[in-house]
Amino acid sequence: MRQGENGETTEKRVGGRVGRRTVLKAAGASLAVAGLGATATACGGGSDSGDGTVTLRYSWWGAEDRAERINRTIALFEKKHPKIKIKTDFQPYTDFWKKFNTQASGGNPPDVFQNAIGFLRKYDAKNVLLDLSGQVEAGHLSMEGFRAGLEKFGEIDGKLLGVPVGSNSMALVIDKPVFARAGVTAEQGWTWDDFDEAMARIRDRAGRAGDSGMYGVMYLYDLYLRQNGKAFFTEDGLGFTEADLTRWWTKAEKGVRSGLFADPRKAAQIKPKSALSGELAGSEFTWDNFTVRYTSEGKSEYGLAPVPTTDGKKTGQYLGSLMLSASKRTRHPEEVARFIDFMVHDPEVAKIMGYDRGVPATQAQYDAYRPTDPVNKAIAAYEESLVDAGVLEPITPHPNGADICEAAFLRIAEELGLGKRSVADAVKQFFTESKTALAG
Amino acid sequence: MGTAVTHAPATEAPARDSEPRHGPVKSPRPAALKRRGRRENLAGYLFMSPWIAGFLLLTAGPMIASLYFAFTDYNLFDAPRWVGLDNFSEMFADPRWRHSVQVTLWYVAVGTPIKLIAALGVALLLAQKRRGQAFYRAAFYAPSLIGASVSVAIVWKAIFSDDAIVDRTQKLFGVDVGGWTGDPDLIIYSLVALTVWQFGAPMVIFLAGLKQVPRELYEAADVDGAGRLRQFWNITLPVISPVLFFNVLLETIHSFQIFSSAYIVGGGAGGNACGPADGTMVYTCYLYVQGFENSRMGLASAMAWMLLVGVALVTAVLFWSQKRWVHYEEGGR
Repeated sequence: MRQGENGETTEKRVGGRVGRRTVLKAAGASLAVAGLGATATACGGGSDSGDGTVTLRYSWWGAEDRAERINRTIALFEKKHPKIKIKTDFQPYTDFWKKFNTQASGGNPPDVFQNAIGFLRKYDAKNVLLDLSGQVEAGHLSMEGFRAGLEKFGEIDGKLLGVPVGSNSMALVIDKPVFARAGVTAEQGWTWDDFDEAMARIRDRAGRAGDSGMYGVMYLYDLYLRQNGKAFFTEDGLGFTEADLTRWWTKAEKGVRSGLFADPRKAAQIKPKSALSGELAGSEFTWDNFTVRYTSEGKSEYGLAPVPTTDGKKTGQYLGSLMLSASKRTRHPEEVARFIDFMVHDPEVAKIMGYDRGVPATQAQYDAYRPTDPVNKAIAAYEESLVDAGVLEPITPHPNGADICEAAFLRIAEELGLGKRSVADAVKQFFTESKTALAG
Repeated sequence: MGTAVTHAPATEAPARDSEPRHGPVKSPRPAALKRRGRRENLAGYLFMSPWIAGFLLLTAGPMIASLYFAFTDYNLFDAPRWVGLDNFSEMFADPRWRHSVQVTLWYVAVGTPIKLIAALGVALLLAQKRRGQAFYRAAFYAPSLIGASVSVAIVWKAIFSDDAIVDRTQKLFGVDVGGWTGDPDLIIYSLVALTVWQFGAPMVIFLAGLKQVPRELYEAADVDGAGRLRQFWNITLPVISPVLFFNVLLETIHSFQIFSSAYIVGGGAGGNACGPADGTMVYTCYLYVQGFENSRMGLASAMAWMLLVGVALVTAVLFWSQKRWVHYEEGGR
């Protein structure tokens, strides 16, 4: 454009262009305004629309079966609190954390979400979790009436970062007919030697591997370490040495080679089904409430056996728990607190959820749900037996980065089982990766 | 302002008419031309604007950001911290990263040639005039259209699993490996099979190339008594070598970018993201693990730029090598 060549024309042309531009700008601006308006309604207004109704976003991990139960509890909550609406969102475990991570880092985490011990410090360090103690003081959330000291479970450095919804404990979930065929009975106080013998008997008499691959279960190795006066984690690092892990994995390698543990090649292919419900193994160390899942997954009948001990007494066990946590960025801390309060105290919720997320954390909910089916009955009996045997201890800390350590432990153990790594190599790799994870 | 727009051309026109001092009025005046040209330009830019905006917002912006992040420690939550070349040195020291490079190079080096040979072989068959050619072409091309989808990867995993169709067929021949997808050494072959199965796209390009080979050359060769194989080596292959080069280049770059099939056949959700013992841990898979599972976006960005450099290098080598084997007609090169 040669400006000034012809003043008038240029000006007019510019005028014309400006006109067009203005139209475009106006259009753009109005779009932007509309967009802002929409955002405003979505964030502020939509959350507290004219009549004072508030919408909370609630995310959790799990599958269809849990979704159905959770939707029923939400319907109940919305009936009792007509001014609060709940929008839910769920994924399987690993996908859940990927999505959550992305949402949280983008400043848009769900108002309330399912959480676990391995993630508390991580997201506290990242300033994501709301300290709920203020809501407890304000009387919107009650921390009374929890079983077995569970109210302390989500407390870190004096902050209440999670409220337990259920408790569970590590157990040996067994294929009952297989154990019967092999003539193995497992009783509270059995030792690791007894366990090894049982594995061999199952292999020889029932023609199946005894266990599905306990050497990769971080929570079981933690118990083993606790039985020996150590622990998997300390406040900010690992609580065991390379020599400890070398012993654990050397035994594992022998177990895989001699067929005591399920063939990792086959186990890898039936995922996400477990080696136990896929009939590759006779038992599996996992959380006791997984019995519910395996019963719907597999064809056999599943029961619970205690964790083996080193000295015939101490199992190193503690109660684990799923929790509900709130986002620090929620605009509705009070409503979130009321929702959590409802989820952990209302007896009706316990009747709907059953032992899906572990045995209810509060006494009121525990009393409200008395299982009648054999699987849930077995879980109740198992937890009662733990209390009776007096083996429960306080949990060891999970530092920031614990979740990555757990994933590495599982993965490297699998590589060991598959014969892709020697024991020495696997141990070295795990320590290298954990160091990075725990430093970050 | 709206009215000014509609009036502007009308008032402009008479002003123009008084301007020229010589020559007939009929020929379009340069100013008017310019105006029209500008208008067309404006329209052009207007129509391109979604693409330009998309490019700036979705491609250029993220690329620049990622280049910056590549030199930082960035976990998505805390502000990125400048660490210089630390990400790169960590990468080279990481055995898992080296493993992913190995797996990827192996996959590219084995998968791409087999795929191209299959594509060329089928193209040679389909180039002949037979009944139902159109059907065969469509049938062989179809996997290329759906092959990249997640659902196909899931089906693929099922096909190659323990006691599934491939495993059972093998057992008929007395080979028992217990399924490919559980074996860290075998699972990558199922991915190679998956990419070879999708040979349709290069096949179509080969077909077009084969149509260009002059008939006279074959006739002359027939007269000279050259056999079929000799004709293929001395006529077909040299003539279609530019097409071959194009396919090699495209498929190589494409192979380097493999992700979804490796991620899904290898396991997807679960403790192990990319196959048993990282058997399908291709480069992009590890990049994803570092970025989204370990929240190390800085490191993942560095890995992405490393991949870009790697692919650029391989491409450069291919271009350099074409002097030796690609024949362009009439001094093309």
